[in-house]
Amino acid sequence: MTTATQFEKQATEKIADRPPKSGSQLLLESLVDQGVETIFGYPGGAIMPVYDVLPSIPELRHILCRHEQGCGMAAIGYARATGRTGTAFATSGPGATNLITAIADAYLDSVPVVFITGQVPTNLMGTDAFQEVDIFGMTLPVVKHSYIVRDPADIPGMVAEAYFIAAEGRPGPVLIDLPKDVANAMTTERHKWRPYPKVKPEMGQSDYISKAEELMREAKKPLFYIGGGIAQGDGVAELRDLVERTDIPVVSTLKGLGAMPSDHPKFLGMLGMHGLKAANYAVQECDLLIVAGARFDDRATGKLDTFAPHAKVIHMDIDIAEINKLRQVDVYLDGSLKKNLAALNPGRSECDDWRALCYGRREEYVWDYEGAQAKASPGVYAPKLLHDLSRRADDSAIFTCDVGQHQMWVAQHCYFDEPKDHITSGGLGTMGFGLPAGLGAKLGAPERTVITVSGDGSIMMNIQELATLYRYGIPLKIVLLDNSVLGMVRQWQEVFFDKNYSETNLDDNPDFALVAKAFQIDAFTVNTVDEVDAGIDRLLNTDGPVLMHVKIDPNENVWPLVPPGRSNADMMER
Amino acid sequence: MTQLQRDKTFEPSGVQGKLKIVLHDVSGTLIRALGTIERRGYDYRDVHCTQRVDGDFDLLVHIEDTGGPSNLDTLCKQLERLYNVVSAEKVGRRKRAERA
Repeated sequence: MTTATQFEKQATEKIADRPPKSGSQLLLESLVDQGVETIFGYPGGAIMPVYDVLPSIPELRHILCRHEQGCGMAAIGYARATGRTGTAFATSGPGATNLITAIADAYLDSVPVVFITGQVPTNLMGTDAFQEVDIFGMTLPVVKHSYIVRDPADIPGMVAEAYFIAAEGRPGPVLIDLPKDVANAMTTERHKWRPYPKVKPEMGQSDYISKAEELMREAKKPLFYIGGGIAQGDGVAELRDLVERTDIPVVSTLKGLGAMPSDHPKFLGMLGMHGLKAANYAVQECDLLIVAGARFDDRATGKLDTFAPHAKVIHMDIDIAEINKLRQVDVYLDGSLKKNLAALNPGRSECDDWRALCYGRREEYVWDYEGAQAKASPGVYAPKLLHDLSRRADDSAIFTCDVGQHQMWVAQHCYFDEPKDHITSGGLGTMGFGLPAGLGAKLGAPERTVITVSGDGSIMMNIQELATLYRYGIPLKIVLLDNSVLGMVRQWQEVFFDKNYSETNLDDNPDFALVAKAFQIDAFTVNTVDEVDAGIDRLLNTDGPVLMHVKIDPNENVWPLVPPGRSNADMMER
Repeated sequence: MTQLQRDKTFEPSGVQGKLKIVLHDVSGTLIRALGTIERRGYDYRDVHCTQRVDGDFDLLVHIEDTGGPSNLDTLCKQLERLYNVVSAEKVGRRKRAERA
């Protein structure tokens, strides 16, 4: 086959009256044309021509993270906080492979990020040259699209298409691999690229909308099951309006949190493995599941054939490949979620008994923070700390998290009133995500308070990014919940592996406050419940970057818990 | 003998099928399409690829389910989601594979 550029380019445009430009110059100017302002990157041999030009482009702010994985995750945090496409740079070989976890994270959470990697010169590609890996081939399963640049004249069109693809439809990561000789090559030519021809439906067919409305009117126990697609499809206002008009209860996936305000009277909470009881019971008993921007992920459904066993299904998703992938539906609406939600008008649901049951359960299973804290005293009960913190932080605060027990506590106990308030690694479950994502979010939304909640296992995976906080004075607030174990793995060992605590003990952790101070970050430790209020005050009132290190009990687990391979009705409790 | 713990929900169905996939002549598209088919839970029984007069490629694959939640309709949509895949459709009749 020929190169990517030979199909797409329409014609060669020679610009005789301009001086020749290098591939690097064209790349960076093209990024400016796409509205890029911030790049998270790390230089190295093959991408040096790009970094050589970078200082001459004042429109581009480069953030030097301390590891390429940090660059990638910072770009994800930036994208999720701003709603714009993120950008990350790395060099060839290990620089590129260090990006792969971030690329996979962006793929599984449908985040628009363009990753640009340097590559060895084209005459060395395929020769096992120094720092050569086939990053194009290695990332094929986890990119929305990817390119190898063969001709600098293609760069403006390719970059424009890359940013278009990353953001259109269901967003995702796009990779551009730039060989060093192409970055150095001079050209006066520009290849024109055709707009990408794929045509997708704007919204569901009108007869399907009518059918969906009919099902919603007939249902006695209807339930909305929402996911991250609501925010990515800009459908938050339309969802809330439809919920008000129909008065139907709502449950959410981890990624969907914030699409409904956490304290909204119709919101039952998160469903799934660590879902709230009111939410999981509602799913199991409903007779109509109205799925919007969610994909029947296994962490949400538990054992698939026991999920919502009595329910008909209406599925709305912009990605038609998700329809009927895991659950056969009765009606689907593809295309824009925003338009589909706005078009539905079934009237108020006649399901008073169902509403009373759902809302009654929500009240019945309300969390007893004071009682749990009293049992934990003088130790710190982490869920109460997070609950108090999120209510004392300003309404616009963004929470980013790492992965593990603290991630589930954040999802269960923090308050979110819009999706951008909650940035978590949902699909890939990437430990090490929280700190770089937090700094990226703060750079993208400097007017908002950004709080990263991490664990002692997770923070060690990208702790080098404390140096990035210091270098740029990024006022990120970090809450480090330290139970000196790999908490979630230990919980599973306790519950499912006969307390065989294999390789989960981290009681030789460093003193995290001292470590932060070594990076010149303000830090302090909270050991007992009596110190929590003052600690939260100090965290919220510190102007610069700050780390609050909180010692918690390793025996405190996340509840409820649905055992793997079981129905969501089988929730284990403390 | 090894016994695998399997979720019976996703046991191999033995479904075989033929797909016709039209690809633009763009570097990486063929491997993207073939890789997607394997990753989504199918083995190849036959693969045939020819270039058309308009420059596009016709890729004809005969595949068999190896287990997983996929069905061929979903697989076609997943293929059509790839950039530079023009279309993907089932051809011929599906039949049950004979089991040993």
